[in-house]
Amino acid sequence: MSDHLSLEDVTIAYGQTVAVEALDLAVADGELVTLLGPSGCGKTTTMRAIAGLVSIRSGRIELAGRDITRVPPSRRGVGLVFQSYALFPHLNVFENVAFGLRLAGTSDLRRRVEAGLATVGLSDFAGRPVAALSGGQQQRVALARSLVMEPALLLLDEPLSNLDARLRLDMRTELQRLQRETGVTMIFVTHDQGEALALSDRIVVMRDGRIEQIGTPEEIWSRPISGFVADFVGFEVIVPEGDGALAWRPSAVALGAGPHRGRVVGTAFAGERREIVLESPLGRIKAETAATAPPHALGTELAFDLPRERAVRLARVG
Amino acid sequence: MTGPILRGLILALTLLFLIGPFFIIVAAALSAGQSLAFPPDGLSLRWFIKVFEVESFRTSFAVSMSLAIFGTLTALLLGIPAAYALHRYPIPGAEAIRLTLSTPIIVPGLIVGLALLRYLVIPTGIGIYAALFLAHTALVLPYAVRVVSASLANLRSDIEEAALLLGATRTGAFLRVVLPNIRGGVLAAFILGFVTSFNQVPVSLFLSGPGVRTLPIDMIAYMEITYDPSVAALSALLALMSVGIVFAAERTLGFSRYV
Repeated sequence: MSDHLSLEDVTIAYGQTVAVEALDLAVADGELVTLLGPSGCGKTTTMRAIAGLVSIRSGRIELAGRDITRVPPSRRGVGLVFQSYALFPHLNVFENVAFGLRLAGTSDLRRRVEAGLATVGLSDFAGRPVAALSGGQQQRVALARSLVMEPALLLLDEPLSNLDARLRLDMRTELQRLQRETGVTMIFVTHDQGEALALSDRIVVMRDGRIEQIGTPEEIWSRPISGFVADFVGFEVIVPEGDGALAWRPSAVALGAGPHRGRVVGTAFAGERREIVLESPLGRIKAETAATAPPHALGTELAFDLPRERAVRLARVG
Repeated sequence: MTGPILRGLILALTLLFLIGPFFIIVAAALSAGQSLAFPPDGLSLRWFIKVFEVESFRTSFAVSMSLAIFGTLTALLLGIPAAYALHRYPIPGAEAIRLTLSTPIIVPGLIVGLALLRYLVIPTGIGIYAALFLAHTALVLPYAVRVVSASLANLRSDIEEAALLLGATRTGAFLRVVLPNIRGGVLAAFILGFVTSFNQVPVSLFLSGPGVRTLPIDMIAYMEITYDPSVAALSALLALMSVGIVFAAERTLGFSRYV
């Protein structure tokens, strides 16, 4: 199978600062891949390089069998939904969506804009000024504006981060539906592992300008390879062992009995469960009990166990 | 409760100080007498009519108008790209460039005028109108750059990137996305430049010459010979024109946001 998008040995630098180093990435046609990582990990820079908004120092980018490394952004066939939506404030909803089609001299412009607005459920908003729309609606306009161009690849920069919790869930479902219906290949940039796990076919975890791990959400969730990824997906108890480490989720820490002892230095009620932080010779250990269990007072000495069968093995502590 | 009264008094005096001279000029212009005087000597509109009959006022008005319009347009043509470049790119020495662009405002007009006369007009022998045009363009340029910069600062730069990804060239993105969104600032810069150029005295004083004078210079020359109220009438008309332009600009685009 040939790759739809491929980045080969891509390095991006601003002056002396290397933002992305020797990155290789292949994305299949119709796939939804997430670039996941904390701010400064190079995920946004990578996305902007794919769009052509930053130039790469070395390497090669191919899209749909075409070398686009030196192709200007206007001719890459890449759509980008900006985090801030970046709608044109002087144009109404219809004209925002029509912008690219007009430049391309599309003949059935009206039909395509209307179809685009219908896809995102905004048919009744064509004549509105964009400033009159809610954040969620503005984002749909931004999506429609990119989708009507029928891009070979759609990039989404933190598309859910500016929405409130309820809208975020709606939009997540919406994005999945759009991807099913249009079949467009998507790259989604986020720092939220929950979004990444829920949406992606594959997740690319990035760190310091490099790829830390690539895998399906299930692989990333259950088999992180390093302390960095493990911590990102909730294996918060990491204990060095040999040249690697073992990691547990707080829920896997058994309290009340076991070979280790620790002192309670923090507790927090978190709805369905109660979080407990223990100070122990192994370091700080985060554990959980059911919220219905009686709370442990600060300073209490507790025995605990780190059951081996519930640990994941990490190649690196960090 | 003397506070509010005192504040009211200070406000009234300040306003009087600011607009009082304007009323004195209008009153003097309405005089029926032969010489410029306040309080006016009777009431009449004859000096307002006289203004339009003076040949030199008509020609110098045309000179001032064309300088203000074309000088300001040229300044915008140079100033918009300059403001855009300063805003958009990390240009080395940007601060120095900005400062240099402001020097025509900072340096006293008399010095600018004398310098232009001595080092531009005399050595090159360019025509009077050309010299005036260059000087007015240079004087207005700082306003163009400054006002346009202010509206660019309020504009998100990602909309340009969005335009690029939708197939626009860099120039296309500027023309279709940036320019329409700073049109208020461009219009404000034009008005500010126009008024600045039209009312300019010290620089024009040095550069005006035989046959080509701006209106303010012509008014000074006229007063040296004829001390009648027609200059007051003309001043009142010009002040009204400026107020009208600024008022219209304020109503249509909130001019004071940009200045």
